[in-house]
Amino acid sequence: MAYEEGLSRDRGPLQRGHGPMGVASGPLEGPPVPAQLLEAHGVEVEIAGTPILRGADLSLKAGELTAVVGPNGAGKSTLVRAVSGLQKMAAGSVRWQGREVGEMRGRELAGLRAFVPQRMPVPAGITVREAVTIGCSARLRPLRRLTGADHEGIARAMERARVTHFAERTLTTLSGGELQRVQIAIGLAQEAPVLIADEPTSQLDLGATIGVASLLRDLVGEGLAVLLVVHDLALAAAIADTVVVVSEGRTVATGAAEQVLSAERLSAVWDADARLTAHEGRTALHVAWLRDGTIRVP
Amino acid sequence: MARRPLVFAALLLALAAAVIASLALGAVKVPAAEVIDILLGNGRGGSDQQIIESLRLPRTVEAMIVGAALGIAGAILQGALANPLASPDVIGVTGGAGFGAILIIILFPGSIALLPVGALFFGLLAATLVFAFAWSGRNRGSTGKVILAGIAMLSLFTAGTTGLLAAYPERAPSAIFFIAGGLTSSGWQELQTIWPYFAVGFVLAACLIRPLDRLALGDDVAASLGSRPQLIRLAAGIAAALLAAASAAIAGLLGFLGLVVPHVVRMAGGTSSHTFVVPASGVGGAALLAAGDTLARTLRAPIEMPVGPFMVLLGVPLFLWLLRKAV
Repeated sequence: MAYEEGLSRDRGPLQRGHGPMGVASGPLEGPPVPAQLLEAHGVEVEIAGTPILRGADLSLKAGELTAVVGPNGAGKSTLVRAVSGLQKMAAGSVRWQGREVGEMRGRELAGLRAFVPQRMPVPAGITVREAVTIGCSARLRPLRRLTGADHEGIARAMERARVTHFAERTLTTLSGGELQRVQIAIGLAQEAPVLIADEPTSQLDLGATIGVASLLRDLVGEGLAVLLVVHDLALAAAIADTVVVVSEGRTVATGAAEQVLSAERLSAVWDADARLTAHEGRTALHVAWLRDGTIRVP
Repeated sequence: MARRPLVFAALLLALAAAVIASLALGAVKVPAAEVIDILLGNGRGGSDQQIIESLRLPRTVEAMIVGAALGIAGAILQGALANPLASPDVIGVTGGAGFGAILIIILFPGSIALLPVGALFFGLLAATLVFAFAWSGRNRGSTGKVILAGIAMLSLFTAGTTGLLAAYPERAPSAIFFIAGGLTSSGWQELQTIWPYFAVGFVLAACLIRPLDRLALGDDVAASLGSRPQLIRLAAGIAAALLAAASAAIAGLLGFLGLVVPHVVRMAGGTSSHTFVVPASGVGGAALLAAGDTLARTLRAPIEMPVGPFMVLLGVPLFLWLLRKAV
């Protein structure tokens, strides 16, 4: 099945909030265009004298899921860290709701975006509820006690991330998928309008990946803006409203999956003979794994 | 969760028992009931009351403050550096304080009153050098850099101390008590000079409890929550340096306490949450040093032994027992 044809078919379990895939969901037929939460232009980052990002652009809107994809070492994680204010920039502009990231205090930034790392350290003896409570501490002064409203916020974050039923378990007893949902709950406890996650599914099995993906889609449905770094292109095509392709430190394409993940681009950026398809809500990446064209299964 | 209040209550009970024992026992034994009466201001005067108020109470208070300071210094350093081996030794304080004290003992034996000041000054100087090196150049403020700079500074000051002892072997015996670590019955005088350093260290440590919990979830989560991980580590280092240098000024080198007490309370409480570990390390450290000091001065009375070895005697079996259970 052709790439474009496949991706323009009907939707499956991972429904997106804004218009069907492959059909232009312009402002006339969809909901009102949400306000820009983040605008990043010409972001450059050097680490130990080596240029990692050489000019990347990114924008985020409320109620949209944006996936950053690209080969290893392309600068995907560096880009999301830079826009999050976690990585110093050499040049470029990152504006959160119109304000330059470098001029904002950490506490202000914490109210605008939550950053969920790929895998956080797991301290011993800390329960899920305690970890999520730490997530709400950005709003607290050093010696202030938690109020009823804080406890409600913590319960709400656990509910939204579907971790309430194991809230009293310690982090060390959780599976990879459960731990990832706890990390998302910690981010949600910040009550910021943007959730940024660096490869949240890269270490998860298929079922856990589906769980995290549908959770993130639900959060977008609630009006959150979600920015993901993701390696799995089929997953990105299934859940993202916008896909940003990063290659050699630059953003080389931004748009709907069917527009930016063409067979030509997969070849140019990933050096892969591959194409994406979508059929009845399922996406797949068809890859010629062996260059000689042989295949071991009939 | 339910274990923590029990462990905390047990620590408070142990502290109360150690304090009463410390006040009641010695060359003159005073009944516990009378000790409590004197503490509550219902004493009947006489020599017992005088012994307790002017000799044993200052010493017991010193033991509690120094024990709490070292326990808390260890707890916040282990949290800030995410390293179970962290203690005031690794930020150079112990090495610097040791050198400062030995310098006074050996080169200025006539000005022994300057010993706490020398220990405090060189303890803080060593920590400042560690932070200056760890926070310069690439990768500034990383855990590895702090620990390596600390070990380098510890080696430097320890070499200085050993050099002084080798150059003046006839004066070395008077330095032994300081190196082994011990309290003296010298009234409130030392605390009156040193207390501001303890006060700043304790307040800073209390303010660091929540930031350290954020740091326990990793630098990225802490940064997401608006904290600056390197700043938390620097503040924890400063608080620990103040507490450990002030402790060394009063009681010599008791590094073991700062290393072991946080581990003991973490294993006993079953959690590494700083809201529990920091205060519990304070109470546990105070109880251990008060008990150790009582043992050190009563076991072979009227000879006073240095408290360091006694604390090790009390702490190591408990530590090893908990370690065996934990693994």
